[in-house]
Amino acid sequence: MSKAKENKKPKRWVGTSLRRKEDDRLIRGHGKFVDDNRLGEMLFLKMVSSPYGHAKILKVDVSEAEKLPGVVCTLTGTEVASLMQPFMEIGPEPGAKIVDYPMAVNRARYQGEPVAAVIAKSQAIAEDAAELVHVEYEMLDAVVTGEDAIQDKVILHESSGTNLVWRGLYEWGEVDKAFKEAAYVVNIDRLHFHRFTAAPLENNAILAHWEPDGRLHFWCNNSFPTFAIQFLAPALGLRLEQIHVKTEDIGGSFGVKITHYPQMAVCALASRKAGGRPVKWTETRTGNLTASGHCNERTYRNTRVALDKNGVIQAIESRQIDDCGAYTRYEPLGAVIWSQVVPGVYRVKNLRIDFAQVVSNKCPCAPIRGYSRLQHLWFMERVLDICSYELGIAADEMRLQNYIKPEEFPYTTPNGCVYDSGNYPKMLEIAKELVGWDRWVKKQQEAKKEGRMIGIGIGTTLDSGTNNFGQSRIINPYAPFSGNSEAANIKVDLDGNIVVSLGSTPQGQGHETTTAQVVADELNIHPDMVSVRTGFDTEWNTYTGHSGTYASQFAVTGLSAVHGAAQKLKKEMKKLAAYALQAKEEDLEFGVGNMGPELRVKGTDKSINYWGLANLVNVNNAGLPNEIAELTLNCRYIYRPPFQIPDLKRKYGNLTLTYAAQLHIAVVEIDPEMYTPKILDYAAVDDCGTVVNPMIVEGQVRGATAHGIGAALMEACVYDSVGNMLTSTFSDYTPITAVNMPKVHYGHIESPSPFSFNGAKGMGEGGGAALHAISAALQNALFEYGITIDDSFTTGNTLYDALVGKKVMQRANNVKVERGVA
Amino acid sequence: MYPSPFRYHRARSLKEAASLLSELGEGSKALAGGQSLIPLMKLRLVSLSDLVDLNFIPGVSAIEQKDNQIHIGALARHADLEKSQTTAPIPIIHDCASGIADVQIRSRGTIGGSLAEADPSGDWPCVLLTLPVELRCVGPKGERTVPISKFFVDAYTSVMEHDELLSGIIVKLPPPHSGGAYLAFKRSPPVYPTASAAVQLTLEGDVCKDVGIALGCVGLTTIKAVQAEQQLRGKSIDQKSITRAAEAAMAEADPQTDMRGSIDYKRTLVRALVKRATEVAVRRARGEKVEVSHYYA
Ligand SMILES: Cc1cc2nc3c(=O)[nH]c(=O)nc-3n(C[C@H](O)[C@H](O)[C@H](O)COP(=O)(O)OP(=O)(O)OC[C@H]3O[C@@H](n4cnc5c(N)ncnc54)[C@H](O)[C@@H]3O)c2cc1C
Repeated sequence: MSKAKENKKPKRWVGTSLRRKEDDRLIRGHGKFVDDNRLGEMLFLKMVSSPYGHAKILKVDVSEAEKLPGVVCTLTGTEVASLMQPFMEIGPEPGAKIVDYPMAVNRARYQGEPVAAVIAKSQAIAEDAAELVHVEYEMLDAVVTGEDAIQDKVILHESSGTNLVWRGLYEWGEVDKAFKEAAYVVNIDRLHFHRFTAAPLENNAILAHWEPDGRLHFWCNNSFPTFAIQFLAPALGLRLEQIHVKTEDIGGSFGVKITHYPQMAVCALASRKAGGRPVKWTETRTGNLTASGHCNERTYRNTRVALDKNGVIQAIESRQIDDCGAYTRYEPLGAVIWSQVVPGVYRVKNLRIDFAQVVSNKCPCAPIRGYSRLQHLWFMERVLDICSYELGIAADEMRLQNYIKPEEFPYTTPNGCVYDSGNYPKMLEIAKELVGWDRWVKKQQEAKKEGRMIGIGIGTTLDSGTNNFGQSRIINPYAPFSGNSEAANIKVDLDGNIVVSLGSTPQGQGHETTTAQVVADELNIHPDMVSVRTGFDTEWNTYTGHSGTYASQFAVTGLSAVHGAAQKLKKEMKKLAAYALQAKEEDLEFGVGNMGPELRVKGTDKSINYWGLANLVNVNNAGLPNEIAELTLNCRYIYRPPFQIPDLKRKYGNLTLTYAAQLHIAVVEIDPEMYTPKILDYAAVDDCGTVVNPMIVEGQVRGATAHGIGAALMEACVYDSVGNMLTSTFSDYTPITAVNMPKVHYGHIESPSPFSFNGAKGMGEGGGAALHAISAALQNALFEYGITIDDSFTTGNTLYDALVGKKVMQRANNVKVERGVA
Repeated sequence: MYPSPFRYHRARSLKEAASLLSELGEGSKALAGGQSLIPLMKLRLVSLSDLVDLNFIPGVSAIEQKDNQIHIGALARHADLEKSQTTAPIPIIHDCASGIADVQIRSRGTIGGSLAEADPSGDWPCVLLTLPVELRCVGPKGERTVPISKFFVDAYTSVMEHDELLSGIIVKLPPPHSGGAYLAFKRSPPVYPTASAAVQLTLEGDVCKDVGIALGCVGLTTIKAVQAEQQLRGKSIDQKSITRAAEAAMAEADPQTDMRGSIDYKRTLVRALVKRATEVAVRRARGEKVEVSHYYA
């Protein structure tokens, strides 16, 4: 957009593609990331990691490392365990019996797990010393799949005695009756959602400084610091007030930076042991790929789907095993979070899901973009697609038959979630238009005659945002959290500047910009006149126990808090200005005058600018009358969505406030000689309610699309049978690049949410739409070859094994249809 | 990521560098673009006592035509070759240079380093094996010239002694009616290919007068596919002979199963790549201007 156009003041700033305030510093390289921090006397920490997936630790000898000049101290697992309490577990037993320290004690349970650390005067010395730490291991059998783990033949945690973390039966509606009355029952033996990760540009980084007086400072890029400190404080025996956490610019998180509090504990203990000197740890890429966090891997067994004669799904039952890696950490929240989107975008009312979560000898999971819902939505999309082909109904028809109808919103799902608004058929129509559906269908028919394999697939998905932490009680009735909240503070500074501080930790979402847009509209000023302090800081910024940037919520929680704080401030400003100008409050208006932002008496030139107001309160306040003496021009507001605690017995209640939707269409061709899938065309349609900044929203949609395409075709965390991770560098874990991206036709509709002040819905995770659309397109191309797309990850090699080797994805081994059951 | 400690030397000539390597012994290595060596050092898969930097030696990166030969200095960067007009008569060189990794790596990495590294997945060894190429080596005892067919001994091993350095690559200009193409399947740009195929041929009407075919990433060294060549050499070029050559190449490939793919799948890729590279080579030999790019996931 041209400068002139941007400077022309629109009626409202919200809704415009205002250029991002943060980009000026980020593009010039003036951003500040954790690793940019340099403190006096700072030391460097290097982790020594287990080369084995599962091994007994017989001996850790640090004596040689400690002798290297420049090494200040070391830490071992045994020592760490003597210095702190294990981290708390969110879930009940058996998972709660897992003893979780930030370093392996006696046993390493995944490749890359820290077993010792060396702390030295330079990074280079720390790395040299790490090679001098001698660890004796005895290799143990490893368990690397969820289906094996649940057998308990190899057990990871002696303290718990089982690999099972949590198991629960989710049942809603009348499942047996629906199966009895069904016209068709489709059985799908096994589906599998693979492991991948977020691979942010910036890896995890921590600078810890435990001062002799007991205060512990962290400069870190944790994206949910309130969660982290609530784990850290009890484990380290500190009051929350003694922990100071600060985040600055963060180079991407996608959820993977929520779970590095164990490394924060190690850095803290290292700082204390080093005599209170600051200690910095910057993760390597291999460290990030092997030991930061992967997404939940899920296997869906014995799925049965009941359908009526028109292909409308009546009931679904399935047994699911979620593999969360070696430790629980954020888990077992994933065992309930999927139920925010139980029926997907469909009207199915009867479901029975037997859900189990297990540990395995792999990297622990983190709540990565689309967390747990993504896995379930992929499952729902596969179910829908497989049924549509089995019944001979076109995939688009099948969807139209099953979609929740636009007039049914707000729509209550079988488990009591309330989908706020939406229009899925309209999104389908727009996406078809964008991609040129009819043209592609024709081309596909022609290409078929030449033996070419082209598939067109639809993915319809949800990005549920602003979650009700009360859902954790479904996992653990004693979990001490529920609801959700976010705080914002807005003040008129001494010099009259407007300063907003937030509890969020943006990593590219543009919170500085959207916050300024909201405040500018409230005060009728330019967004450049609003300074926004983002980044989380327990000392400086305001926060609540839910503060952070995760789970698609800022547009609702964050901006509601900003809006609320601005309302409070406006009230105070009016009161003060009325006093100063000797006018009635209702005669005042906000605007910008010759002396900057001001309040003025409508229709006159009587006004007072913000400096004048601030001066009255802060500097020039003798003789202020009592009724305005209480004004501070410094207002904090906490937004709390209207949530209830769910009905735990029925596993029923509203688990999320807003439901943004995505509909993607992919056209994919399978190379007839190389079997590689190539995207020929792509459309992405988004509906996140009222759009605050279209440019930022489009950026999020494109980013989520790239992440999804990468996950579908390029990115997988692969382990061998003994727990070696085979994709531990970017040579093998190949994150998507611009060269791999198709041109994406972007479109959007706005179905305002009735539940947020601004009609906006949280967005950014994107619901994994690309994964669904690509699986669907491949299914469309390959059904006639007897293939069922049963895995979320597909490469040329797997398609070769399916089409030529007939080894995998064989429909005959997986899918059976019982007809005319009724 | 930090390498273990090493001493750094800056050589002023290749001869001096060779003497230094000879003096410093097995723990020393030459540094060219550093795009293979430095990652290995940072991952501590390689620990060196001494590094001899070749980057400040003058006059070792020129690309020049002398008579019917193109002389390429060992320190010519991939990016230099990507942009070179001098090598335009041999389009397969551009195919190779422009498809290596990403901009940063192409700007630093050198053709000499690539050949010296003798990586079976490297692009230059594969492409240059299909051309009449001689390699100039300099050692403390003097110079020698090695035909490329004798240069690679094993995975990551060339005929060069520890203290020998590659100084230049001499490519004989192909006769008229020649053309070549280099194609690879790569999961993403900044990784080595899963499989690659280089085909360089000379036509006489519809008959293939001469041909060189080489396969990358599918054996302990780059594989010269002589059986495949035989299916084309002296035969008329058509869909049938091209298919036979591709099938032969598939059999000559000797890949291993790894993260990039299974044995069978890599062989399948070889067949497709040889077929397609041959088709482009033929079109180019006939004077057509054809742009190609690798295949990406
Ligand atoms: C992420 C990444 C992706 C890559 N992808 C590809 C790819 O797709 N295809 C590809 O072909 N390559 C790829 N490369 C490698 C790149 O092309 C390197 O530049 C090349 O392999 C080595 O050249 P160099 O100049 O960097 O050599 P260096 O790394 O400096 O040296 C490599 C070895 O050769 C020796 N050496 C260097 N120069 C000489 C000389 N003149 N005489 C004797 N010995 C010498 C060194 O001592 C060392 O042992 C990739 C590299 C990276 C980091």
